[in-house]
Amino acid sequence: MSIRVLFSFVKKEIKQIFRTKEMLILMFGAPLLQLLVLGFTVTNEVKHIKLFIEDRDNTELSRAMCEGFKHTDRFDLVQQQRGESSTIMIQNWEAQLVVIVPQGFGRELRQNRKPDVQFITDGLDGNSAAVSLGYAQGIVARFIQSMLQESRQKYPFTALSSMPSQVIVSQRMWYNEDLNSAQYMVPGIIVILITIISMMMSAMSLVKEKEIGTLEQLMVTPASKIELLLGKLIPYWVIAMFEISAVTFAAHFIFRIHFTGSVAEMALAAGLYLMTTLGIGIFISTITDTQQQAMFFSWFMMIFMILLSGLFVPVQNMPYLIKKLTLLNPMSFMLAITREVIIKGTPLRYMFREVAALTLYGFVTFFLGVTRFHKTTK
Amino acid sequence: MNTINIEHLCYYYDKVQALDDVSLSVIEGEIHGLIGPDSAGKTTLMRILCGLMPTQEGKVSVLSLDSDDFMQIRSLIGYMPQRFSLYQDLSVAENLKFFARLFNVPAGERDKRMQDLYAFSHLEEFSGRRAGALSGGMKQKLALSCALIHRPRLLILDEPTYGVDPVSRQEFWQMLKQIQGDGTTILVSTPYMDEAELCDRVSLINGGKILESDTLTNIRSKWNRKVFSFSAPNLKQLFGVLEPLAESCQLFGNEIHIVIPNASAAQSLDIIKSRVEGIKYRYEEIESSMEDIFLSYMNPGVWRVS
Repeated sequence: MSIRVLFSFVKKEIKQIFRTKEMLILMFGAPLLQLLVLGFTVTNEVKHIKLFIEDRDNTELSRAMCEGFKHTDRFDLVQQQRGESSTIMIQNWEAQLVVIVPQGFGRELRQNRKPDVQFITDGLDGNSAAVSLGYAQGIVARFIQSMLQESRQKYPFTALSSMPSQVIVSQRMWYNEDLNSAQYMVPGIIVILITIISMMMSAMSLVKEKEIGTLEQLMVTPASKIELLLGKLIPYWVIAMFEISAVTFAAHFIFRIHFTGSVAEMALAAGLYLMTTLGIGIFISTITDTQQQAMFFSWFMMIFMILLSGLFVPVQNMPYLIKKLTLLNPMSFMLAITREVIIKGTPLRYMFREVAALTLYGFVTFFLGVTRFHKTTK
Repeated sequence: MNTINIEHLCYYYDKVQALDDVSLSVIEGEIHGLIGPDSAGKTTLMRILCGLMPTQEGKVSVLSLDSDDFMQIRSLIGYMPQRFSLYQDLSVAENLKFFARLFNVPAGERDKRMQDLYAFSHLEEFSGRRAGALSGGMKQKLALSCALIHRPRLLILDEPTYGVDPVSRQEFWQMLKQIQGDGTTILVSTPYMDEAELCDRVSLINGGKILESDTLTNIRSKWNRKVFSFSAPNLKQLFGVLEPLAESCQLFGNEIHIVIPNASAAQSLDIIKSRVEGIKYRYEEIESSMEDIFLSYMNPGVWRVS
């Protein structure tokens, strides 16, 4: 293998990439757009729930409890229109959650008679409904708790202070204290981006040579196929690596997602993963004849890879057989590593299984791609 | 010493036979024309010579190398495929430099060769232009230049003038003559019969078979037939009379060309004269063109010249 020949392939490829407007948009414009759109929109968080409180008791205690709903961005309090019942408000989409504090709430509470509080929620969007109920229950529980403590100190011998102490669950969300979905999504977006760049672009650029006939012209030169393949793939490998850094930087400034792990280890994992995707890219180029076919094929692969990666649906939640299927998906391993390394700063030595899988897939796919390329071109 | 030697070469695409017992030799220093219609097997033959396809049956040697040594062969030959297949988004100079590097042309040598090629192709003023923006004729010249950058001993051109205008075609052939003058052997395929006249030797190919392979003069004399051109106001009627008598009868514009074996020419003409009495017509003997010869070869029943 001649380094000079390899270098001239790389040089040629880079010139071509930077002269094709569509390629540039796809490689540098699209990733940023995707990062912004997916980072901001794909979210499981529930915020600004329209809440209406119907306080029929209107005592010091009931007002104090309702106060808890006001100091959070989870809920936006809405006012009642004159003569409108709370059920109508839910029907008219004016409220998503209604809290009804019954008459006598304060009195019953003081007498330790466990008053009821009613929550009515719009169950159409089941996820939001469940999450908002959870928040509301949390607020009520915290109120009761603080009130108990207070009254024990103030009035040690009243009925209220004799209420048995309850187990208090104290929640701490490690690594992502605010349950910010961008933290979860952005590493996934990074993985998707480098997959697109490496798999789709390399397949398309190889097929392009076939489509316009230059591959045949290259085949009659003394340059070897391995020089040709490496010369074509190295630029995409480099660009993908660059793109990881660029997107990580962007995530740092836009989403305040800080890279906590080891950069070298991330680069190692990405390098291995790119061997797999480039290998698939070569493979796609050997079974297609036009860039259009290669693009369709890559998208087809991408959709399966993304759905089976655990990006949107955690792998643990998948049915048994599907869960096994994700083992065939190199993206699921890369996604796990990326999340761990970026968000938690986990050293790679604790992810031996994932790294082993990436290494195996990397070498096997690349080898198979190159072999098939050898067979289909003469 | 022959530059190319092919013996009993056969090639099959699955069940379709593309080459049928082809034996052919190209002599060093000549321009050898491979003449035949579309799907005659010209491209298949050339791709095998370049090592782009394997030799299934038979024996092929190029520049005294066996076809299995295609890597070595490739560094000694230049191949220009039928379709323009250079990088459209690279400039003329970039294409030349890229191929120079792939053929391991030393850097010092490269610039001199590029100058030589520019002088001969007149592409210098377009050296910064992207190949995709060149005209058809200029693209062909660039492709030829790229195939010549490593000074090959053998140049294989697959229908290089296909779809090129007549002026550019003529220019292109002048360039080929010049390359030949530098000692390069050229194998060129073409569907145009008139280009056969420009070759030193030609091989007629059809249906995967070589019909004849010789100099044009020899092919003509071996052919041993006379061609007459008839013209008349009522061509249709004349055609009906001539067709059963001639070996081949073709309409060329407002003339009818008929082919008659030398031996029976006088006799046949007498018969024709007696049959066409009453019709106004003129006729003259003309020199057989490649087209006449080729068409008569294509005519079943006249496979071999007796």
